[in-house]
Amino acid sequence: MTLRNRLIVVADTLQRIQLWLAAIALLVLMMVTVADVFLRYLFNAPVRGSYDMVESLLLVFVFNGMAATFFGRRHIVIDLVDSFVGPRATVALVRIADTLSVVCIGLLMWAMRVPAVQAYQYGDIKLELHLPIWVLWAVAFAGLVGTIFCAIVALVARPATTDVGHA
Amino acid sequence: MSPALIGVCGVLVLFALLILRVPVWIALVLVGFFGNVIVLGWQGAFALAGTTPFDVASSYTLSVVPLFILMGEVASESRLSGELFKAARVILSGFRGGLAVATLAASALFGAVSGSSLANAATMTRMALPELRKAGYDDGLATGCIAAGGSTDILIPPSIILVIYAAIAELSVPKLLAAGLIPGLVLTVLYMAVALAIAHLKPHYAPDNETHTLREKIAALREPWQFLALFVVTIGGIYAGVFSPTEAASIGAFGAILLGVLGRRLGLKDLRRAIENSVVVSGVLFVIVMGANLFSFFIVQTHLPDLLLDTARAFNLSGLAVMMTIIVGYILLGCFLEGIGMVLITVPVFQPLIVKFGYDPIWFAIVVVVMVEVGLIHPPVGMNLFVIQAQAPDVKITAIYRGIIPFLVAPLILIVLMFLFPGLALWLPKVLYG
Repeated sequence: MTLRNRLIVVADTLQRIQLWLAAIALLVLMMVTVADVFLRYLFNAPVRGSYDMVESLLLVFVFNGMAATFFGRRHIVIDLVDSFVGPRATVALVRIADTLSVVCIGLLMWAMRVPAVQAYQYGDIKLELHLPIWVLWAVAFAGLVGTIFCAIVALVARPATTDVGHA
Repeated sequence: MSPALIGVCGVLVLFALLILRVPVWIALVLVGFFGNVIVLGWQGAFALAGTTPFDVASSYTLSVVPLFILMGEVASESRLSGELFKAARVILSGFRGGLAVATLAASALFGAVSGSSLANAATMTRMALPELRKAGYDDGLATGCIAAGGSTDILIPPSIILVIYAAIAELSVPKLLAAGLIPGLVLTVLYMAVALAIAHLKPHYAPDNETHTLREKIAALREPWQFLALFVVTIGGIYAGVFSPTEAASIGAFGAILLGVLGRRLGLKDLRRAIENSVVVSGVLFVIVMGANLFSFFIVQTHLPDLLLDTARAFNLSGLAVMMTIIVGYILLGCFLEGIGMVLITVPVFQPLIVKFGYDPIWFAIVVVVMVEVGLIHPPVGMNLFVIQAQAPDVKITAIYRGIIPFLVAPLILIVLMFLFPGLALWLPKVLYG
């Protein structure tokens, strides 16, 4: 197996794991909220910390769900230019977009390190769950590391297809 | 260079990047970040870029987005829409164009549990197009109904685009979801009128011969109960103030899964596919919202809307003239921009402007979403048209273009109605939330 194929296999496995982490976070988020509503209306006993749980689970969901989006190049793209330039130019534009993708994620990660360190130093916590906020920053960074790896593999190892994502 | 001119340059660079095939989220991040560097300096720009992804990803308001997407994906995978279409065709049988009207009714009802226009168009193409063709309908009319019907999805709550709009424009999600309902229903009726007019003017386009007895029609009314139950519980719950949007979306997604499993229409594979799609689509949207936040902050700092306001006043333009210009701008933007991108790029620029001219931001939000709908269906690049063609490759794109053109009249009539009767969008939020 070539290095390129190995990279694709590793990235594919990683994005699948992250996708399922995100899926589990979404299902738990849904169940916590449903349980909160039922317990609140039926027994006047809402789930303690449900608001914080929703926010924290959404964060797990978002930062892990991004890997699949980046690996599959599912971003929304205006592809009008495809009909005016040749296939080689289109491939070059896809590669530029891949490169910018890695740069932007790297830029955001670099910028995020200061507030993450501050959250750790100041000992900020979630008010209801008493969960240290630096834990959530750690989750965000872990998700972004996987995402940037998938974005790099899409850049260096995946063929530059011109499929575009639509929301 | 004045801050407002920096803002103008930023917008121009953004469009240049978009045309050069740079993904929407990257274009927003790059222009937003480097724009903030120019306006605020490196430290300020880094501070903003450092906190924005975390704030967006842990926003309680935005938790509605993946849950409503999941609800729509589950409804689509569990083939609830098939039953809906069957019921609509029985109930609306017995007159020329009945099947076209049934398709539009089923699309609108499907829109009541799904927030994505493209998912609606894809689902209805699978369900309705073979039946319309079997009944001898013209390909253009059939696909026109499906594309137009699908576009109502982003107006009829739950609408993903309205939730994201609310988050960016700092408006109330329940108020926006309430504001979209009546215009969404009016638009559906207008689309039905167009379909009936075509069937009347060109009878060979819609050779309906299906008839059902009154008893069969009454029996068919029972079929869409799952859709109505989901809609009443989720959106009704929000309107009644019983649930927050996140709670309603959770109950809706859970209810859709429960109905699919209990009705044996949703297997493990279907559920898995629905969840995977929800994760990926949400991933696409969340990075765009992160970029849009950076871009929006940049636009606010440049006071670009003030420059536009001064320009409008220098030319003695009335509020109506400004709105007309904006609407024409949206029609042009819709030729090449995708809906969410169109909203997130333009709203930070236009909303402060129109508010200063005395227009209500909730009303404007609905106007913008109607224009996004137009963008979804107008040739040559309406996304719904491509979705239909991808699902039914044997239908020529020229037939789809020909078929959708008469339907474009309907959203434009709706816009005129909204200018004449702003209450179409503002009455329900006022009644519900004061």
